[in-house]
Amino acid sequence: MTYAASNYITVFDKWDDQKTFFCFTPEDAKRLSDFHPFAEKHVDEVVDGLYAHLLKFEEAQMFLDDAETLRRLKIAQRRYFLELTSGCYEEEYYENRIKVGVTHQRMGIPPRLYMGAYSYYLQLMIPLIYQYLGDDLEKANTTFSAMYKIINLDQELAMSAYIHAVEDVISKQTEEILEMSTPVIQVWEGVVATPIIGTLDSQRAQQFMEHLLEKIVESKSPIALIDITGVPQIDTATAQHLIDTINAVKLLGSKVIITGIRPAIAQTLVHLGINLQGIITKPSMSAGLKVALEMLAVGNTGFNKTN
Amino acid sequence: MFNESLSVIKLKNILLVTVPDDPGDDMIYELQNKVLSAMEKYESAGLILDISSVNVMDSFFARTISETTQMVTLMGGHTVVAGMQPGVAITAAELGLHLGHALTALDVDSALEMLNHNLANAV
Repeated sequence: MTYAASNYITVFDKWDDQKTFFCFTPEDAKRLSDFHPFAEKHVDEVVDGLYAHLLKFEEAQMFLDDAETLRRLKIAQRRYFLELTSGCYEEEYYENRIKVGVTHQRMGIPPRLYMGAYSYYLQLMIPLIYQYLGDDLEKANTTFSAMYKIINLDQELAMSAYIHAVEDVISKQTEEILEMSTPVIQVWEGVVATPIIGTLDSQRAQQFMEHLLEKIVESKSPIALIDITGVPQIDTATAQHLIDTINAVKLLGSKVIITGIRPAIAQTLVHLGINLQGIITKPSMSAGLKVALEMLAVGNTGFNKTN
Repeated sequence: MFNESLSVIKLKNILLVTVPDDPGDDMIYELQNKVLSAMEKYESAGLILDISSVNVMDSFFARTISETTQMVTLMGGHTVVAGMQPGVAITAAELGLHLGHALTALDVDSALEMLNHNLANAV
């Protein structure tokens, strides 16, 4: 799975810019790779230390409850740790870091838990760096600075990926809600009904109209009931969308009955000067259905002037 | 160019025209002429325009239908436009195109029913 093509905040094309922005230079990469042999020697110590720390917290324990998970996590963590000093910070590195954020989001691990782990990492690393390069304080300082920068970069990638994954979920849900919010139900042979719940904005109106028209044609229904009980308030834009829908339905050769006009809605419609003349309106769905059935019985569903 | 011809079918006292997919301006003119001559010849009481295969409707087409409806009314007939596709209806409603005094029906069957009902009531 590649995240580079997504609209995620730091896209791979900008990864080089991102490194520059964090002042991460090729020298930093070199220093980290110099430190690699020493890191390799101490990897178990750091990883065990990190998990020993995490297991002190009830919240973290929840995610580390069985031995098998812990073993797998430690292996992943080992790899992760060694990659920090690999000296190669290109596409593969980038992809792996993004995966960390996405995986944590998917498992429902809150960012503060693993952000804390980054901080703890750094704490474990500082003594190691100074132990290894204690003779050359200048070199120890620059190595530490490089380590600090790469961890910061990692955090940024993980956070951005996390946010992106959350946004993804939200946009999927929005789509689903949109889909769910315009059901068209066949209530009788020749009668379809559709309740509108919530505000009818242009995007929803478009979808609503398409959905309703398709269903009318599919079911060959000469009457469509549009129930607006669930519309909290109506403004000129909403009314215009409704009128467009009614006109489109008329063009197909069916009739619209608007139901669920509450007193407040009736007042607003009159105050706004919205003209619904020539459209049958009823206070409730049941009253609308009654009219529809009467029309069907008489057989006079036609004589639908288009204007 | 292949000149697709348009046929006006007489069914008892009603005329039926199936408008082909994507009619050009010439075709629409031809439609109007043929319909009006048939009205003169058969003195029909109704006209059904089946537009179920039309994918695109422009303002010229809408206006011609509206005008033809008026002309047919003058010659003593009712016009029903049948089987408009949902996509066409949406575009037409959004563009504010309308078909004048033409009646609309979901399909040719209901258009026939509608005309029969109307004629029965008129007598």
